[in-house]
Amino acid sequence: MKYVATIGDNEYTIEIVDERHIILDGETYEVDFESVSGQPVHSLLVDSKSYEAYVYPEDQGWQVLLHGNLYLIDVEDERERRLRASLGGGPAEKGEYLLRAPMPGLVVSVPVSEGEAISKGDVLVILESMKMQNELKSPRDGTVERVRVKPGDSVEQKETLLSVA
Amino acid sequence: MFNKVLIANRGEIAVRIIRACRELGMQTVAVYSEADRHALHVRYSDEAYLLGPAPSRESYLRADKIIEIAKRSHSGAIHPGYGFLAERADFAQACLDEGLGFIGPKPSSIAAMGDKAVARSTVAGSGVPVVPGTEGEGSLSDDDLLKVAPEIGFPLLIKATAGGGGKGMREVRSLEEMPALLNSARREAEASFGDGNVYLEKLLEGARHIEIQILADTQGNVIHLGERECSLQRRHQKLLEESPSPFVGDDQELRERMGSVAVRAAQAVDYINAGTIEFLVDKDKNFYFLEMNTRLQVEHPITEAVTNVDIVKEQIRIARGRQMRHTQEEIRLTGWAIECRVNAEDPYNNFLPSTGRIDHLILPTGPGVRVDTGVYPGFEISPYYDSLISKLIVRGETRGEAILRMRRALEEYKIVGVRTNIPFHQHLMDSHRFMAGQYDTRFVEERFSMEAPEDESETLPEIAAILATLVAHNEAQRAAQIIQRGERDVSNWKWVGRWERIHR
Repeated sequence: MKYVATIGDNEYTIEIVDERHIILDGETYEVDFESVSGQPVHSLLVDSKSYEAYVYPEDQGWQVLLHGNLYLIDVEDERERRLRASLGGGPAEKGEYLLRAPMPGLVVSVPVSEGEAISKGDVLVILESMKMQNELKSPRDGTVERVRVKPGDSVEQKETLLSVA
Repeated sequence: MFNKVLIANRGEIAVRIIRACRELGMQTVAVYSEADRHALHVRYSDEAYLLGPAPSRESYLRADKIIEIAKRSHSGAIHPGYGFLAERADFAQACLDEGLGFIGPKPSSIAAMGDKAVARSTVAGSGVPVVPGTEGEGSLSDDDLLKVAPEIGFPLLIKATAGGGGKGMREVRSLEEMPALLNSARREAEASFGDGNVYLEKLLEGARHIEIQILADTQGNVIHLGERECSLQRRHQKLLEESPSPFVGDDQELRERMGSVAVRAAQAVDYINAGTIEFLVDKDKNFYFLEMNTRLQVEHPITEAVTNVDIVKEQIRIARGRQMRHTQEEIRLTGWAIECRVNAEDPYNNFLPSTGRIDHLILPTGPGVRVDTGVYPGFEISPYYDSLISKLIVRGETRGEAILRMRRALEEYKIVGVRTNIPFHQHLMDSHRFMAGQYDTRFVEERFSMEAPEDESETLPEIAAILATLVAHNEAQRAAQIIQRGERDVSNWKWVGRWERIHR
């Protein structure tokens, strides 16, 4: 199986040869990979060098926390990738963005209203949790489509607060 | 003299106090909210009583219930820890009225220092320099504050008079944004301390936040235990503290001067028990009184590490009317200690709090490492209380050794289930400015980044790519292979192998 892992502008072609060997950018390495008691902490030996990291699934790709550095990594099956390339076009950048509560809390204020044009970094909702008021910001430019909460509402984790189109 | 202590708190500090009581051979009584039935302080104490529902207002802030439980359990004294009721003069007074000891200062000292505005005018009166602001004016209305603000000058800080820990604090850059900020500061102060009063203070830029730990007994002895450097803050929340301060360093004269001013400030309010005087220190080594915390501090362990004084045990001894074990001459700072506050906050996502169950936990151990915590695997981090999971404290012979030891300990520390700010601390340990001790209170917000350092080992991204690919590969295989539901006790690698053979 051949994969292409992308970190920012860098691509790494990784072929999984068998359960002990991989080929990274043309070079073969001996690997020993274990999950620590079924947790997202993984232990990896690469040519006997020992690494330990957290690997978290994300909406798009993976987050790897290694030696205090966080890497956002997109992993694609090489065939899928070729298929996608032949169809032209990368992953959808546009579409609706749903702002979900990152933790349970109390809505303190919603400084935007439906139909309002917003830019990346604008505060959409202020949520109080763990005694702190947290500003939830827009990851991109757009228009506020639907606001589903109002100040004073208690929200659960992952509850949709509003949508940006 | 009491032999049974009720701990009116939760989390790591409740555990810390229980430990001190245990070592002194005293009985302990825990109180807990519905969210904390499984908390460590409940498990470690001799007795535990339910206070009420999870929100602090209905549990840990219920002074009446806590006093009632203290009497019912025949506790002789109450230790308030920090936060919650720790700096409420009315609570301390209520304890005394009911014949209970209060392990802390007299209600009058809490009141004098607790209203930060009154505190500033009191110490200013005894010749201690203060930062300009609305000291000594009592509680002002929004209109009054807006009128006075331009006289102090911008930038300035709105602070909660009952405050601490950055709650109810706002930085104001101009008069226009001030009304909205006043509003949110009051709201947060009201929610955190049950008191929405605020005052203003000029914001000194490029300053350091250095505090002096003091201890005072009922026999009239007041000593200081040297300083703690607390400049590494984000949104006025301390993140890392060290003792001694790299800024004070070898300047024994400055240390003594700050120490004696701190002792004087404590004496100005007739202080008893442990307390901390916070100073802002500018680059010319001028220092200004900021406030006094009339309680045990979160960061007390670093002082314990360099002085060998157990501050919590001293607190209990003092509350029992005993003399302190040490005189000023016996206090020596030896070695270097650093504390990292490990919070359930995601440094890669704007430090947003993270809640959830701790699935897995590996604590750092080994020489010179101390972890104060209230969590364990299976514990739920709830949104009701602050985000402090644990305090990681290391001691080294020198600052260099302490930094290297902290680096090692952070790498060992594994917390699974919630996101933590451990990567933030790791980046900090690698920061050249931190290593050189050159930082002020703005450092984290203005000059610090979570971006991977330039000189990082070049193979790390490759290793990360391999890890992600292997996990993705296993996931894909598993998704393709699951025919029957349920646990497989075979390693994923075997499945991969079989899959490969089938498709050969």
